[in-house]
Amino acid sequence: MGLDPGSEGIVTVQHLVKKYGDFVAVNDVSFSIKQGEIFGIIGPNGAGKTTTVECISGLRTPDSGSISIHRLSPLKDRNKIREFLGVQLQESAMPPRLKVGEAVRLFASFYPSPVGADGLLETLGISNVKDSIYKKLSGGQKQRLSIALALIGNPKIAILDELTTGLDPEARRETWALIESIRDRGVTVILVTHFMDEAERLCDRLALINHGRLVVLDTPEAIATLAGGNRVRFVPSQPVDDKTLYAMPGVVGVERKERYITITGTGDLAASVINSLAKVGVHVSDIEARGGNLDDAFVKLTRDDTAGPSGGVQR
Amino acid sequence: MTSVASEPKEKEFRGHFSELLKVEGKLALREPTGIGVAIGAPIIFVVIFGLIGIASPGNVPNTNYTVLDLYVPVIMVIVFIFLGVAALPVTLVRYREMGWLRRVSVTPVPPLRLLAAQLVVYLALALAAVLIVIFGSELIFGAALDVGILYFVLSLVLSIAVIFSLGLVVAALAPSQSVTTALTGGLTFLMLFLSGLWIPPATVGGPLATIMYYSPAGAAVQALLNSAFNTAPPLTAILTMVAYTVVFALVAIRYFRWE
Repeated sequence: MGLDPGSEGIVTVQHLVKKYGDFVAVNDVSFSIKQGEIFGIIGPNGAGKTTTVECISGLRTPDSGSISIHRLSPLKDRNKIREFLGVQLQESAMPPRLKVGEAVRLFASFYPSPVGADGLLETLGISNVKDSIYKKLSGGQKQRLSIALALIGNPKIAILDELTTGLDPEARRETWALIESIRDRGVTVILVTHFMDEAERLCDRLALINHGRLVVLDTPEAIATLAGGNRVRFVPSQPVDDKTLYAMPGVVGVERKERYITITGTGDLAASVINSLAKVGVHVSDIEARGGNLDDAFVKLTRDDTAGPSGGVQR
Repeated sequence: MTSVASEPKEKEFRGHFSELLKVEGKLALREPTGIGVAIGAPIIFVVIFGLIGIASPGNVPNTNYTVLDLYVPVIMVIVFIFLGVAALPVTLVRYREMGWLRRVSVTPVPPLRLLAAQLVVYLALALAAVLIVIFGSELIFGAALDVGILYFVLSLVLSIAVIFSLGLVVAALAPSQSVTTALTGGLTFLMLFLSGLWIPPATVGGPLATIMYYSPAGAAVQALLNSAFNTAPPLTAILTMVAYTVVFALVAIRYFRWE
């Protein structure tokens, strides 16, 4: 593909700005997506996630900034890009009487080297409804068909926007497995979601967008740590001063409530507490440990961010 | 096209328009209204006016035509109005509202091709209706048509162009499906009136007759009536249709939205 892996992303967004009238939907967002990764774009409703991917897919013209996909421009080279970019749009329906098989064959005819329709429907688990019309499909089947149309052209990059919204838990899990299998075939996936469990489970890296700004860009684990990281609560057998606690490896915060002490930090905090306190002759009881959680981080970062750090945190 | 793809696949890729036509054609057949209007309406109207003609034989006073003769072009124009003004904009706006046009616009195929396929299907339905009207009225009710092919084709092309482009104006300007339904309802009724379905302009007389003659539907009826009897269509009718078509097409192109 003539691409140096690592040195340059397959998709590069620089200082992207998109306004709707006076409303700034996307405000100076920059990131770079590596080939073969699942790149998540998360944020609250109305944060600018969909606008960002719509600019990438060439549906909207940015007010400023630049986007390059495989060194091509979504606006100038739109026809070329569309041959290797598969898009699943949020809330896009199909003609009610169109059959599943017809829709897939039609879209296959749009692309220069499509994948086999039968195999794709088989993989997606909708080959049994090939002859059903669109309006008779269940929500999950409609989503799968929508994914099928995004993949039929054998894309190098797939943009999937809120694809598990409205699915039951089982269908969501099946869809996740499906996305992982897409990635395993070498497709770079851009996943827009507001479900943290989905982002945590699937994404290699996440861009958190709030009020049109990039708040943080990192791995799900690293972002989860930003919420204060791991947390251990315990009751010491005798009083311990803060100095001793802060001296333990990985500790960044100490809170006291009644006889409980809660410390936050990184690494294996529980082991650290037990070992370090044992050395000074303190035993711990009622110990309760909890890992860093993307949900907490999301709430914290989107709440703190009313002004928004201008540069964002990049990795 | 790059040389990466193998040749048969390239060929398939170019086959996307025939695939679009196939799908749009099937959808039109599955939509009971489209085929019903195109095939059912002309049959019903030919039978009605044919029977009226049998009940009151001879020429309509002050004309050289029988009732059925006079109504042959009106029936054609009515079907064009049903297809182009009542049905086409509703389908297009629904495609837009459900995000289908947008969905197609992120593939390598320009969404304009989808509209083109849609138009071809509607044109095919319109032509089927024309054939039903001509052969039905001639063979069953013995209408003495003398179709002048050149005149007739010219009149047909312009009639369909002016009425369909009016429908495209509605599709371009209407913000939502409910507005479209209301607009097309009113416009359909107005166009049916102007075509002379209820009262022919010759009977109306006065300024209202002039308005009817210079309306898209009235001009279409005039041109088709003359060419169905191998007479040159009046230049005013031709120019009227050309002028409306140009204006409608410009407005439709200027204001059409894909989402």
